[in-house]
Amino acid sequence: MHLDVAFSTLFDLLTTPRLLFLMVIAVPMGVFFGSTPGLGGKLGLVLLIPFVYNMDQLTGAVFLCAMHAVVHTGGSIPSILIGVPGDGPAAATALDGFAMTRKGQAGRALGASFGASTAGGLLGAMFLGLSLPILEPIILNFSPAEFFLLAILGITFIATLSGDSFIKGMIVGLFGLMCAFIGLDPSTGSPRFTFGQIWLWDGLSVIVAVLSMFAVPEMISLGVKGRSFDVSAETKAKLHDTGTAPPETAVSRKVTYAQIFEGMWDVVEHKWLVLRCSLLVAAIGVIPGLGGDAAAWMAYGHTVQSSKHPERFGKGEVAGVIGAETGSCAKEAGSLLPTLFFGVPGSSGMAIMLGAFLMLGIQPGPAMLTDHINIVWSLIWALVIANIFCVFMLIAAGPWIGKLGSTKASFLIPYVLLFALLGCFLFGGLWQNLLLVMVMGSLGYLFKRHDWPRAPFIIGVILGKIAEDSLQKALALFGANFFLRPISLILIALIIGSIGFYLWRQRHPNKVSVPSHA
Amino acid sequence: MLKHWLAAVAGATLLWSGAASAAADLNQFKGKTITYIVATGPGGGYDTYGRLIARYLQKYLPGSRVVVRNVPGAGHIVGANTIYAAKADGLTIGMFNTGLIYDQLIKRQGVLFDLSKFSWIGKASDDTRALMVSNKSGFKNIDDIIKSKAAIKFASSGVGSAAYNDTKILADALHLNVQIVPGFSGNEGEMSMLRNEVVAEVGTAESMEQFVKQGHGYFALALSGDATSLPGVPRASQYVKDDKGKRLLGLVETLSEIGRLTAGPPGIPPAVLAAEREALTAAMKDPQLLAEAKKLALSIDHAPGEVVEAKIKAALAQPPETVAALKAAAGG
Repeated sequence: MHLDVAFSTLFDLLTTPRLLFLMVIAVPMGVFFGSTPGLGGKLGLVLLIPFVYNMDQLTGAVFLCAMHAVVHTGGSIPSILIGVPGDGPAAATALDGFAMTRKGQAGRALGASFGASTAGGLLGAMFLGLSLPILEPIILNFSPAEFFLLAILGITFIATLSGDSFIKGMIVGLFGLMCAFIGLDPSTGSPRFTFGQIWLWDGLSVIVAVLSMFAVPEMISLGVKGRSFDVSAETKAKLHDTGTAPPETAVSRKVTYAQIFEGMWDVVEHKWLVLRCSLLVAAIGVIPGLGGDAAAWMAYGHTVQSSKHPERFGKGEVAGVIGAETGSCAKEAGSLLPTLFFGVPGSSGMAIMLGAFLMLGIQPGPAMLTDHINIVWSLIWALVIANIFCVFMLIAAGPWIGKLGSTKASFLIPYVLLFALLGCFLFGGLWQNLLLVMVMGSLGYLFKRHDWPRAPFIIGVILGKIAEDSLQKALALFGANFFLRPISLILIALIIGSIGFYLWRQRHPNKVSVPSHA
Repeated sequence: MLKHWLAAVAGATLLWSGAASAAADLNQFKGKTITYIVATGPGGGYDTYGRLIARYLQKYLPGSRVVVRNVPGAGHIVGANTIYAAKADGLTIGMFNTGLIYDQLIKRQGVLFDLSKFSWIGKASDDTRALMVSNKSGFKNIDDIIKSKAAIKFASSGVGSAAYNDTKILADALHLNVQIVPGFSGNEGEMSMLRNEVVAEVGTAESMEQFVKQGHGYFALALSGDATSLPGVPRASQYVKDDKGKRLLGLVETLSEIGRLTAGPPGIPPAVLAAEREALTAAMKDPQLLAEAKKLALSIDHAPGEVVEAKIKAALAQPPETVAALKAAAGG
């Protein structure tokens, strides 16, 4: 268990001013990249890699890890306050977080988000530390057969997130799946649904999908209304009419420390959910081949499924924010494991991190456990310290951050759209993505306007490609009997259980389906 | 006497002017920005090589600024298309995979370039290809694999990729009974070997070296390189009997010899191209660059643009039956 190394590296980190200083500047950078729609952690890593080039291995790796650890915490800010997520996992936070803001509970949502992401980050790091001795057998027991079934399990959540109309959810979800099949056919290498456009060979980027379905529609909607995201008199009246209005103080635009702490207390009250989501997502993050984006959505899906009040989700249920945020942050630790020990990135962000590790001269492999265990523990502690520092920083800045929610539309719309488009362009370097965002964003606006759920589209895009790729490999490796492997059978049972539970809920007299503004 | 002096001065002047025209003017890039395109996303091997080369090109082209731009897409095709279509002023150059030779030979959709027309600046390394076999597989050597009656599972990256084509070529040339399982990227193939799902994979020796050092696999066959590149490993050429197989393997060998290429669009003025070639050659000999490359575990084996150009042209001159074999491979 290397307890001596574990604590000596913590001591070294805390007593080396240079490392502490770098972590202190890495955290606000991570929050900035995460909170600016379109930029995100991957672009942050890309932009910072040249700066670590001349650092020594430990310093460079700790700096990048600390920055990347808090990206998703930052990403929750625009998701909650203006309904504009920057990436796949943050879109799950937007579902309930933004709804809470519209109910006048932005401060509580932010507090829940800060608390849940910190708890997720810490529990994920703890999971990473504890699983070091049994890491290899865990990872090696998951093959493409299991990746495929895990992806199918995730796709079953489309039903849960379909809202009022299961049919609408399925149509949008299947449309997302179809979009996931854009690109080169994995079995023949021939272009598919690319309409002769070579830039579509690599498929539809998740970033483009998220910005199209959330950022652009929210900004169009805001432009049409022509006012800030502050709770409107109309909404207040509606809330009063339906008898669900919170006290007037809670509907205020102001984010107070009291609200933030209320949200953090919600995290304590949902401790078992936080624990379950952290472990689930960290474990999924460990398995290379499924990816962190999928993990965060599975945490959200699990939160909705396991709740006694699924009808509240998408309307501003604090547990939705807690589940999604715990998932987003816990996966970072999990996905670091296969990156370090097998050189196989556990998430798309980790793929870039892997490149940075190689540039720093860190050769991922099982030898990390023996020859470079100090680096491994330093990175685990960097995740912990960055998360703790981040939560204190964000709590302190909470009331000022909250002002974003009442920013004038005339300022917000160009800012958000500019960064969203810039992010789309910078990451792939494709101007064509700008057109795609505008076209698909218009579609997203139509979905929003006519109350069609948008979350199933993101799930379809993220999991469709994984499912297809894994199915092809599983069939090639094991033949048609691939689903008879022991873990596969367990996963099949979970899939059947998930569908059965959904159907049972539909028939249960006291259960109401989720509304469709997800 | 005066005549002799005049002749000597005239001769010296001629020699000096000749030397001056041979030595490229490296100062012509003063105040200019050179865009170095890397045809992959950030973080991978190509990106690492590209950024290293860009920094040292800047050093040897005084007053210039060399910026790296990642143009990923379609397995390096988008990046190569972008370089090919750039203005031929030497201010846009870049790096892409040598495997694009396969794509040009089979006239793959999306290829808008002609590799024989690029302005070749040089190469940074050899990409020795090898067959690596898992220690868990039960196959002790290449002879066991050749004799196998049952289909042997080989991991590979996507259909149409350079690694996939190399695998197909090896299987065809040695008449191996192979089932290629495509779709593995990065080190995923090695993980699949650890899970005992696949037996082997074909790739660059450099990328698989770590796995071998860790004791999980061994190099069963060297597809290219000389005896010094993988000492003690049998050469594929020893096992290839027919002409078709020899030609296919010859193509892989040529590709292996010209790894990590730097090229510019067709028609770069000779003086500009000469300066960039000279700067790259100087960069490749720079002790600091070599030390950094060693730290990053990147091999450096430079050859100038003229050599690269000759090899590219030779690789593109394939008989129809080789092209047909490659087309068959690309068709899955």
